[in-house]
Amino acid sequence: MKNIPKPYMNPYLAGFLLGLVLLAAFFVTGRGLGASGTVKSVVITTVGKAAPEHVANNPFYSEYFSEGPGPMKNWLVYLSLGVLAGAFFSGAMSGRLGFKVDKGPRISSGTRLIFAASGGLLFGLGAQFGRGCTSGAALTGMAVLSSAGFLTMMAIFGSGYMVAYFFRKLWIS
Amino acid sequence: MAPLIPQGFVNPDLNLFFAFVIGLGFGYVLEQAGFSSSRKLAGVFYGYDFVVLRVFFTAAITAMSGLLIFSYLGWIDDRLLYINPTYLWSAIIGGVIMGVGFILGGFCPGTSMVAAVIGKIDAMVFVAGMFIGIFIFGEFYEVFEPLYMGSYLGGIFVFDSLGMSREWFAMMLIAVALMAFVVTQYIEDQINKVSFEEKSSRPAYWTPALIIIGLGVLMIMLPSQPRSNWNETSAQKLLTNVVNGNQLVDADEVAYSLVNGKDRPLRLVDVRSPEEFAQFSLPGAVNIPIGQILENQSEAILSDKTNKVVLYSNATTLSSEAWLVATRAGIEDLYVLDGGLNGFIQTVFLEKPADPAHNMNLAYQNRFREKARQYFLSGQSAASPKTLSVPVIQTVGEKPKAKGGC
Repeated sequence: MKNIPKPYMNPYLAGFLLGLVLLAAFFVTGRGLGASGTVKSVVITTVGKAAPEHVANNPFYSEYFSEGPGPMKNWLVYLSLGVLAGAFFSGAMSGRLGFKVDKGPRISSGTRLIFAASGGLLFGLGAQFGRGCTSGAALTGMAVLSSAGFLTMMAIFGSGYMVAYFFRKLWIS
Repeated sequence: MAPLIPQGFVNPDLNLFFAFVIGLGFGYVLEQAGFSSSRKLAGVFYGYDFVVLRVFFTAAITAMSGLLIFSYLGWIDDRLLYINPTYLWSAIIGGVIMGVGFILGGFCPGTSMVAAVIGKIDAMVFVAGMFIGIFIFGEFYEVFEPLYMGSYLGGIFVFDSLGMSREWFAMMLIAVALMAFVVTQYIEDQINKVSFEEKSSRPAYWTPALIIIGLGVLMIMLPSQPRSNWNETSAQKLLTNVVNGNQLVDADEVAYSLVNGKDRPLRLVDVRSPEEFAQFSLPGAVNIPIGQILENQSEAILSDKTNKVVLYSNATTLSSEAWLVATRAGIEDLYVLDGGLNGFIQTVFLEKPADPAHNMNLAYQNRFREKARQYFLSGQSAASPKTLSVPVIQTVGEKPKAKGGC
């Protein structure tokens, strides 16, 4: 018998709970959530291992090695470990584990993966300029009512809507 | 009280443990909300599924309202919260690039992690793409730096940018969110051709909507006095101090304290720029540039209870501004050097001694100023011979370290 995944949570309830998680993050540490920062830490660590001299000459990388316990022992990295564990637990409980490619009805899995990689590349690049991604800059920034949070949020969704038409084939029939 | 870690209530070593626990909640909620599906996420751009907007907006107004309420109740000191600094063009261009990335990739970083861990191959590829994107940024950092570091506006707030009060902005955001929920539901139903029966079987959310509107109205009605800081000094009290000039300390007193050391301990705080401070400063002074006057490290120095804390600048404009801001923020017993550095030099070094024959007080004053001149010029002083530094020129105190964000 095929395992039928449970339905998703009510979005407003999920949003409320997510808001509480964010509030808890503020309450404990004074800063919100983030995700792209972890990928940045991993990139910096990798580059640091591969080419230590190169890292020393580049302010973007070297900042992370100059003080503190290094790029991997930080708040965001442990937060992301928690995210992975929490999501795995949730997926397992709801019967959603399993290898799969999500895609629109009109494209092949190969096409989807190529675009997924390009999207990831752009998101990684953009998150550096934005000083955080949808969670770190937009959501967290909005919760503390910072101008940067609102600007980044509007820019993300604004540009998304502007280009959505041209890439509609990826997602809709 | 909170935030716990910056206030020192929780051992910083537990920081990473808390990070993991909060991450658990974050990951669980994202996955439960359906954010592990790129099809669902991309739906917000094509109108067939607005789950992203619902979750995102609800979370933002929940956390925002929570922070406002905590701050009213004095449960959280919102001066210790990290406020994302605004680098105008970097934020906008970054957002635009991320928006395109969202359409192409169907994920954002957090959601891609959530999806990758439950086996979504497209998400794993997306994460790999992010590595490359960040690597490109790192490699071409020098090219990107002018944009990345440019148009810096500081940790500004959106309600200030819009010229509104924080409470009104919060209320407006709640209203916009509720309207967006209604409108997007309508659009979604049109696009998905939802039947009337299905629509009418859905919950109407009247209760939560009314609760949150009530909350917004309550926030506006609350008196704004206890906001942000419960030990702020009232404007009235400030005015009284300013009018009476209670905060002023004259040059003789400062000179006396410098000469005689321990009798009347003064803590001199130089509020000018680090460059000016390095060029010339009073002995033993600490440099806190006015821009950093509200930072935690500064507060520790300014609220020193054992010494009389005296602020100075070249004249009195900058130091008075610093005095006002710090006093308003709740730091008591601060003083300003009357006449500033210029006045100090004028009084101690340049003023011609008045004819002492008519006035005994003047005679004493002259004698004292002569002694002070001796002290500063020669470094010879009977009272504290150990601080034999050269004239008045610089003694660099420990500079408070300003720590930036991520």
